[in-house]
Amino acid sequence: MPEITLDGLVKEYGGVKATDGLSLTVRDGEYLCILGPTGSGKTTCLRMICGLTAPDSGKVLFDGRDVTNEPVSRRKAAMLSQVYSLFPSNTVYENVMFSPKIQEWPEDDARQIVKSMIKMVHMESKAHSYPRELSGGQQQRTALARALASDSDVLLLDEPLRALDARLRLELRKELRSMVKEMRLTSVHVTHDQDEALEMADRIAVIRKGRIIQVGTPTEVFRDPLTPFVANFVGRSNIFVGVMGRSFDGYSEVMMPLGDGRAVLKVRRSEMQEGSAVVVAVKIGSTKLEKIRPDAAGGTDPPGYFRGKVERILYEGATITVEVGTPAGIVSAKLPNRKFEDHAADDSVLIWWPPETASVFPMPPEGLEDELRLD
Amino acid sequence: MSLLKKINEMSDSRRSRKAWFGAVCVVFLTLIIIPSIFVVFRLFTDWSSVDGVIADGATMGVIKGALFNSFSIAFIVTVIDVIVGIPMAWLLVRKHFQGKRYLDTLMDMPLAFPTAVLGISVVMFWGAPEGIDIPGLGLNLSPYAMLILLHTIFTYPYMVRSLSAILEQIEPNYETAAMTLSASRFTAVRTITLPLFRAGLVTGFILCFARSLSETGGTYIALKMMGVQSTFFTGPTFINDAKSLLGPDSAMGPMILISVLMIVLAIALLVAARLMMVRLKIPTSRVWPQFGRRLSRGTVPKIKDALSIAFLLVIVLIPSFYIFAFLTQPVAAVDYGALLSSIGLSFLVAGAAVVFDIVFGIPMALYIARNRRTVLGKMLDEAVNVPLIIPTTALGFSLALFWGMFYSGDSTAVFTAMVILGHISFTYPLVVRNIIGAVEEADASYEEVAMTLGAKPFQAFSKVLVPIIKSSIIAGAILSFTRSLGETGATTSISGAVKTVPVYIMDLVNKDSYAEAAMCSIILIVICFILIFAVRMIINRGERHA
Repeated sequence: MPEITLDGLVKEYGGVKATDGLSLTVRDGEYLCILGPTGSGKTTCLRMICGLTAPDSGKVLFDGRDVTNEPVSRRKAAMLSQVYSLFPSNTVYENVMFSPKIQEWPEDDARQIVKSMIKMVHMESKAHSYPRELSGGQQQRTALARALASDSDVLLLDEPLRALDARLRLELRKELRSMVKEMRLTSVHVTHDQDEALEMADRIAVIRKGRIIQVGTPTEVFRDPLTPFVANFVGRSNIFVGVMGRSFDGYSEVMMPLGDGRAVLKVRRSEMQEGSAVVVAVKIGSTKLEKIRPDAAGGTDPPGYFRGKVERILYEGATITVEVGTPAGIVSAKLPNRKFEDHAADDSVLIWWPPETASVFPMPPEGLEDELRLD
Repeated sequence: MSLLKKINEMSDSRRSRKAWFGAVCVVFLTLIIIPSIFVVFRLFTDWSSVDGVIADGATMGVIKGALFNSFSIAFIVTVIDVIVGIPMAWLLVRKHFQGKRYLDTLMDMPLAFPTAVLGISVVMFWGAPEGIDIPGLGLNLSPYAMLILLHTIFTYPYMVRSLSAILEQIEPNYETAAMTLSASRFTAVRTITLPLFRAGLVTGFILCFARSLSETGGTYIALKMMGVQSTFFTGPTFINDAKSLLGPDSAMGPMILISVLMIVLAIALLVAARLMMVRLKIPTSRVWPQFGRRLSRGTVPKIKDALSIAFLLVIVLIPSFYIFAFLTQPVAAVDYGALLSSIGLSFLVAGAAVVFDIVFGIPMALYIARNRRTVLGKMLDEAVNVPLIIPTTALGFSLALFWGMFYSGDSTAVFTAMVILGHISFTYPLVVRNIIGAVEEADASYEEVAMTLGAKPFQAFSKVLVPIIKSSIIAGAILSFTRSLGETGATTSISGAVKTVPVYIMDLVNKDSYAEAAMCSIILIVICFILIFAVRMIINRGERHA
C-alpha cells in the first residue's frame, strides 16, 4: 500500500483559499484522521488525494510517484462519502459488484471477492435489498464493502459516521476501524469530531485554514498540543492569559492578573523568556477543584491555586462538569460523577492542576480570540 | 464493445472531455442558435426590402394587427392559465382523493394532440363551421375569442405542470406552522406559500406565453374554418400565408420584418420575465383574517375545487375530444397511403430530432447543472432558453434563410433535413431543461464515488448517473417528440414540400375535406396514445426496480 505525500497543496475557490500550502505524509497502512472545524479544507484535501479536485499548485505523491495529473479512475483511492452514495437502482450485491465489473475481473474471482466483502460487513441477509430498504448503519457498511471490493490501495473516508444516530456512531467507530485495518489499506479519515479522531486514528493531523498545524498520535496531540487552538479543539481546555515567570525543577510559573491582585499558575516546564506574554491551556478533565471550608476563607492562596465560586453543575452521566466563576472568567472542571455530591452552587472552591498537564504557548501574534475561533 | 471501450478510455483524459464539450457548444451555436436568429442579420443586409414595407401603410397595418393579436392573445391566455392553474396544481399536489391518478393523466392529454387537430375540434365544438354536419354549440364567437379558447387548451397543461413541480418542492410545513399560529388556510397560502411560488409562476408564464405565441397550425385551421383566414392574422399565420397572399417576391420584406419583430419582442419579454422573477413581490403586509377564514371553511374551498375540475372538463377536455364525434358519422374515405407516409415522415422528423437532442442535450445539461456559478454556465443556461421563446414560425423562416445561403436546389431530402434541424431547435431546450432539473437533484457524489472506485468518467455517467436520471430523460424525450409531432409553423415556413402529419391535415382542411381531416386526426391521436402508453409501461416496469 502506498505512502501518500501531499506537498504544498494550494486550492482557491473564488479568492478563498480552501487549502493554503498543505503538506502531509500518510504512512503506508496507517489510519490517519484529519481533524478540523467546518470549512478548514478537510474535504478539499481528501478530494485532491483521489483526484476529484485538481490543486492550483503543489503535488500529490503516491510512494514518491507524482500522481497530481493522473485521472481519478487510475489512482486506486476509493472514497467513502458521508452520504454513502449507494447507487439507488442497484441492490447491495450489485453495488459491491460495481468495481469488479467495471474493471472486468474474471467473473468467478469477482463473485468470490464480493461475497466475502458482504460477509465481512455482515450484510449477507440483505444482499438483495435496495439501498432505500436499509438502515443508516447497513448503508454505511455496504458502502464500506463496496469500497473494499474495489482493490483500492487507499481508502478515503469523508465524515463516514456523520449521518448516523449518536449511539450507532459510537458503536461503529471500532468496527469500522478494525475492518479497514484488517485490509491494511492506507486510510485517510476526515472528521470534525475530536472524540472520533482520538478513538480511531493511528495518527491525527489537525487542520485549520487550509494548513496542517500538528500531526501526532492521539496522545501526543491531546497531551502536548502545539498551539492554543489545538489545545482547545482536541479536548476542551480552560485558557488563561498571563506573563511568564520563573522556572523551577519540573514546572514553571505564570503570573496571571486576577481581579485586583494576581494568581500564580504552575505549568509544564518551559524555556520561554521570563516576562513574555503567554497563553496557558489546561484540559477541563485535568482541572481539579478543592472545596474551601467556610471558616478557612480569607488569606492568600498558595502558588498554583486560585479561587472561584461554583456557578453551575452539569450532570452528564459518567461525568459532571462544574463551572466556576472567577475574575479570569468561567473555569470548567470535568470530574467523575461520584463527585456530584461534593459540590453545590455558590460553594467557594480552589482551582488547581498538576503542572505537567498545563501547556504554555507564546501569545499568538493575531491575538487569542482569533486563534481560538472555530472556523 | 470496442467503441464503448474507446469512449471510456477517452473520457479519462481531461483534454478529450474538453474537446467533446467544445464540440457540443459548437453544434449548439451553429446548428441551433445562429440559424434561429439569422433573420435578424438579414434585416440589416436586406434593409431595402424592409424599408419599402415600413413605408407601405396598408401592409404595416396588417403586420401591426397581427403582432397585436399574437401578443395580446398570448398574454390573456397566460393570465387565464395562472388563475385556473393555481387551484388545479393545488388539487394535484396537496389533496388526496380517489381518481387523482386519472385526473393527472387527463391533464397531459391535450399535449398529445397535434394542435392542428385541436383547431378542428375546438371550432367544431364552440362554433358552427360551414361544411361540417356535426352540431356544435353554435356560438357566434369572434375569431379573437375563439383563438383564446383554443390556445388555453394547449397552454394550460404547461402551466399546471410547472406550478405543481414547484409546489411539490415547497414543504407543507410552512403552511402548517402558519396555521398553528392561527392564520386561516387562505391567509397562510397567500402570505407564505405564494411568495415561494414565484419561480414556478414565471417559468409557467414563459412556457405558456411562448407556446401561444408560436402556435401556427391550429390557429390557421381555426381561422380557415371560420372563413377569416385572409382577414384576421396572428404573427405566425401571417408568415405562413404571406407568400400566397403577397407573392413570393414582395412577401420577403414583410416576412423578415415581422419575424424580427416577434423574435426581438419575445426575447425582450424573456429578459423582462427573468428580471421580474427577482423583483416581483407578492404583497403580504396586509391580512384580512375574517375574510380569509370565510374563504377557508365550509363550501368555498369545495366550490373552488369543483370549478377547477369543471374548467378542465368544459374548456379543455371536451372541446379537445369533440373531434371523436366524427366517429358517429359514416366513415370518411381516407387516403391511407398519403396519411401513413406523412405519419412516417413526422415520426422520422420527431425521432431524429429527439435522438439529436439527447446526444447533444445531455452533455449541455450536465455542464449547465454542474457549473451554475461560472460565467459560461450562466450564459449557456440563458442561451438554451432562446429557441424556446422564439415563435417557431419565425424560427423556421430564419432557419430557411440561413441554410438557403448554402443550398438553393429543391431536393425534398435536403428540405427534410432542414426541417429536422428546425425541429431540433425548438425541442432541444425541452430536453435540456428537463435533464438539468434531474441532474441538479442527483447528488454529484454518486459519480464521484464511482470514479474513485475505478470507473472512467463515461462509465460513471452511463452506469451510475443515467439510471438515476433516466425517467427525466424519457420524459424530456416524450415531451420533445409530441411537441415536434404537433408542430406546423416551423415545418411550413422551412419548406412547403415536407408534408408532415399536421401539414397534411392542414392541407385537407384547406381543401374543405373536413371529414377526411377529422378521420386522419383520430387515427393520429390513437397512434400517439398507444405510443405514450407503451413508453409509460416501459418506464413503470423500469421504476419498479429503481
